[in-house]
Formats: sequence, C-alpha cells, structure tokens
Amino acid sequence: MPEKVIEVEHLRQTYDGRTFVVDDVSFNVAKGEIYGLLGKNGAGKTTTIRTMTTILPVHYGKVRILGMDVSENAEKIRRRIGVVLQNESFDFASVERNLKVYGMLWDVPREVLKARIEEVLEVFDLGPLRKVRAMELSGGQKKRLQVAREFIHDMDLLFLDEPTVGLDPIMRRSVLNYIRDKARRGLTVLYTTQIMEEADYLCDRIAIMNRGKIVAEGTSSDLKAKYGDLKTIHVVVSGDIDYESLKSKFPEDVIVDNEEIRIVSKNVEDILPDLIIYLKTKDIRIERISVEESSLDDVFLKVVS
Amino acid sequence: MMPPSLRLTARNLIINTDPGTLLFLIGLPSFYLIVLGLMFQALIPNVVFDGRSISYAQFLSPGVVAMQPFIAGSIGGSMLWSDRRWGMFEQLLVGPFHRIDYLLGIIYVSMIFSVGGALLMFLVSYLLTGFVVHYLVNILLIIVVLLVSSILFTSLFLVLSVFIRTIQTYNTVTMFIFFILDFASSAFYPINGRTPLGLRIVSYANPLTYIVNSVRDMMFARLTGSDLVYVGVVVILSALFFVFAALSYRKAKI
Ligand SMILES: Nc1ncnc2c1ncn2[C@@H]1O[C@H](COP(=O)(O)OP(=O)(O)OP(=O)(O)O)[C@@H](O)[C@H]1O
Ligand SMILES: [Mg+2]
Repeated sequence: MPEKVIEVEHLRQTYDGRTFVVDDVSFNVAKGEIYGLLGKNGAGKTTTIRTMTTILPVHYGKVRILGMDVSENAEKIRRRIGVVLQNESFDFASVERNLKVYGMLWDVPREVLKARIEEVLEVFDLGPLRKVRAMELSGGQKKRLQVAREFIHDMDLLFLDEPTVGLDPIMRRSVLNYIRDKARRGLTVLYTTQIMEEADYLCDRIAIMNRGKIVAEGTSSDLKAKYGDLKTIHVVVSGDIDYESLKSKFPEDVIVDNEEIRIVSKNVEDILPDLIIYLKTKDIRIERISVEESSLDDVFLKVVS
Repeated sequence: MMPPSLRLTARNLIINTDPGTLLFLIGLPSFYLIVLGLMFQALIPNVVFDGRSISYAQFLSPGVVAMQPFIAGSIGGSMLWSDRRWGMFEQLLVGPFHRIDYLLGIIYVSMIFSVGGALLMFLVSYLLTGFVVHYLVNILLIIVVLLVSSILFTSLFLVLSVFIRTIQTYNTVTMFIFFILDFASSAFYPINGRTPLGLRIVSYANPLTYIVNSVRDMMFARLTGSDLVYVGVVVILSALFFVFAALSYRKAKI
C-alpha cells in the first residue's frame, strides 16, 4: 500500500461558528501524487489548505500530514512542506534578494542556495528581472516569483493554491511541466485551480468541491467516463437571448454567455430540434452550432450546478 | 545551524529596516537633547542631582537614552504591519518555525536598535555636554536595562498591532502613547515632592520613569537600593507584557 502523505477525515471547518465552509471532507493523497482540488469561488479550497498547512485549527475531523496530526505536530509538519499562498506574498526587496532571504530563512546551505537561485531564475524566466523590486513586478511576474521561491528549499509536500493565475500560456505550461517533473522525483503536490484543462494535464487525481463538500473525485478519465454520456450543445447566435425563458424551456444545464449558449445533457438528440425551433420563433439567428463530447469543464459545470 | 528566531532577526534587519524609521529613532531624541537641552539652559541654569549641580542637557541625556527601547519597540510593532501588508505574515506562519520565533525575531531586532540608538545618544550627549559614563560596569548595566525594556515595549506594540485594525490608527495611538509616556515621566524633569500629586501618580504608573531613573543613576554612578526596585519593576512588567503579547498574537488575524 502506498505511503499516505495527506489524510483528511470528515473535516468540518467554520469561521463564524454557524456555517460550515468545509463540510465533511475526506480524501487521501499518496506519496508522489499530484492531487487537484477544483471548485468555484468560495467552495472551501483555501480553507482546506489552510487547515492542512497548520494555519487554521481543526474544528471537527482529523487531518494527518506526512503521518503526523496537524493539531499536535504543527511545527514539525511546517519544516517539511512548501506553501504557495493564493494571496500575494513577498518581501520589500528585489527578486534576487527575495530568493536569497527565503533561502536563509529555510537554512539552505550557501552553495546549494546559489545554484537553486540560478535554476529558478532560469525556469521561471525571472533572470532579466533579478534586480527589480518585487512590488514593481507585473501580476503574473509576482506570481512566478512566489512559485519560484518555494522551490528554493527541500520539501516532501507542496501546496499550491491557484499558482497559475495571471500567467501567460507559455509560462503556465512550463510551470506545470516543472511541477510534474518534481512530482516524478517523489514530491507530493496538492494543487488548486479553476482551470479544468490544467487539472486534466497535471493532476493524477481530481476532487471537485462545491459548497464545502467534495462532490466528485477520481482521475480525469474516471470523471469523464462517469459523466461521459454527457454531451454539450454549443450554439453561437446573433440577437438577444432571454436567459429566463430559455432556462424555463430547457431546464437542463443551460449556460448563456453573451451570444453563446451551452447546454450540457444526456439526451442532446431530443433537445436539439426543440432548441432550433425555439431560436427560430424568437427570431434569433444561428451563426454556428455543434455537439461535442463533454470535456472536464463540462463535468465540472455539471457537478457543481 | 542558526536558530530560527535569529534567522528571522536577520531577515528583519535586511528587509524590514527602513532608513526613514531609523532616522526617526535617532532623530527625535537627538532633537530633544539638542533643542530642549540648549533652549532650557536659559531658563534652568542647572539642576541639582545627588547633591551635585549638573546642566539641564546632562540631566536630559539619560532620558533620551531610556527612550530608545520605546522607539525601537514601536518600530518592531510596525514590522508586523508591513509583513501583513505584503502577505509575508501568513507566509512565515507556514514556514519552518515555531510561532513564538516570529515574535522573538521582532523583539531581537528591537533590542539591537535600542542599544545601537542608546550608544548614539551617548555620543550626541558627549558632543553636546562633554559628559561620559565613567565605569564600564555601568554601561553594561544600562545595556541590560535597555534590553529588558525592549521586550516590554516591543510586546506592548505587538499587542497593539494585533488589536488595532488599521495602520493609521496604529500610528496615531503610537504618537499618543509616545507623548504621554515621554512627558509624564522623569525624562524631562525630576519627579519629587513639588510635582502635583496627580502627575506624580501617572509618572509612577509609567514604566519609562523606572527605566529613566535607573539609567540616570547608572550614568551618574550613584546606585542605591531603589535602583534594584526600579529594575525589578521593569523586569516584571517586561515578563507580563511578553506573555500578553504571546497570547494575543496567537489570535492575530492574518
Ligand atoms: N478569514 C475568513 N473569515 C471568514 N470567512 C471566510 C474567511 N476566509 C474565507 N471565508 C469564507 O469561507 C468560504 C470558503 O472560502 P475559501 O477561501 O476556502 O474558498 P476557495 O474555494 O478558496 O475560493 P476561491 O476560489 O475564491 O479562492 C467563503 O464563503 C468565504 O467567504
Ligand atoms: Mg481560494
């Protein structure tokens, strides 16, 4: 049986003592695994991470990290984990100094530190910015610094709370590849994101959270298979769409975005003719229409709605 | 391997030390010493202290030395603010430290600043009045008092930082406390039978009075039993404030 690095059992967390923003969450993560937590804003991802990283006390349930209970061994756990916070965090200093000081805080030996700084400057494309003060960086550059900094020290488990927000597609890909490479060498990663294809690309297993609960869990192909008989009708129209009337006509999962309509359903064959007739009676012109296999995105939308 | 609290201290020295605040640390008390010391000379030709007649500037110099831990403490408190502002507070809380290490990291920096500031005050005072502390042992005693007082004031300001919601309020409160503690103490004038009773009570409830009194006695090489009491009060208050700071900081909002 593989070594369990994260064990969360029936975790319930509350900020105000009344509503549980994490509500009976249980999952395990094995050594070397990349585990993705997905969910809408406010689903409870960050609260779960804050609990696992010893910032928040456990209200109900049990959380063990690297075999140790977070309520008893917080400091021992912290010495073996890395955390990239969702919020911005950096020192009031240049990029290079941020990395150096962080290395000093982690007691990284001088020679090792030097080599690692050069490595992350290269991987995260921060070399040209090494002398720039952190607060003068662009949003994406700050995020890169924050992720890069965490790879300065050794760790057994890394928490990444939406680390790719604001990164351009090229940078995003190279950051994901770097994380994957580290995981192949034994690093365990807990990763949160809103971007499904990212989770699809990176994560060995995915849990989808909604309102404090895990509503689906599995590998991305598990999830697609489970909800895989779903198909998506995608229509691009010109003309105003009345969301309410559309919704009442097609109670399936209808998503309207400007002049695009998406309907996720198991029986698109029945819906499609009705939809075309509906649009015709409303004088809405169809520019483009397609029926697609559901993507992980669709799975997400389906399970959280 | 460096202990975690010292690593955090080194970080605070490298990152959280702003030349502007340091200037304040040294500037304001120097200003007191130079301006007040020289201006009041016209009004107060000399002060009788321990049967000797000394100049007002000489009387004032222990006062400005004793202010250093107070100013250093307020700078320490503001480090918590800037760490919160740049998101580093939460980041350090998930770092490889005990929670108390973060507090110690700030207290140690305040100690360094207050001793450094005090040495500078000695220098300014020497240039101004030609006054020197004669005995090495007295200088060492003064340093001990300054170190202990740094714990007191840094803890006080850390508690304030935890409970006050905005940096503006924090700064206003700091200035207010600064004013009260400085002027309702024995820093600027002797507290004796001619001091109005109300002010005398405030002065004796003010930790700065005990610090100033003991530093003054040490500078003028006139140690008595009451200095033991002064130092005792400072030590007890420091211990209390430290415990209070450690407790309230556990509740600190991130
Ligand atoms: N410090 C706090 N005090 C009170 N309530 C909070 C606090 N932090 C989060 N919450 C509430 O807890 C719920 C879960 O928040 P959390 O930050 O865990 O969500 P999330 O899944 O990380 O969302 P996002 O994708 O927006 O980061 C939200 O409803 C939020 O309002
Ligand atoms: Mg979050």
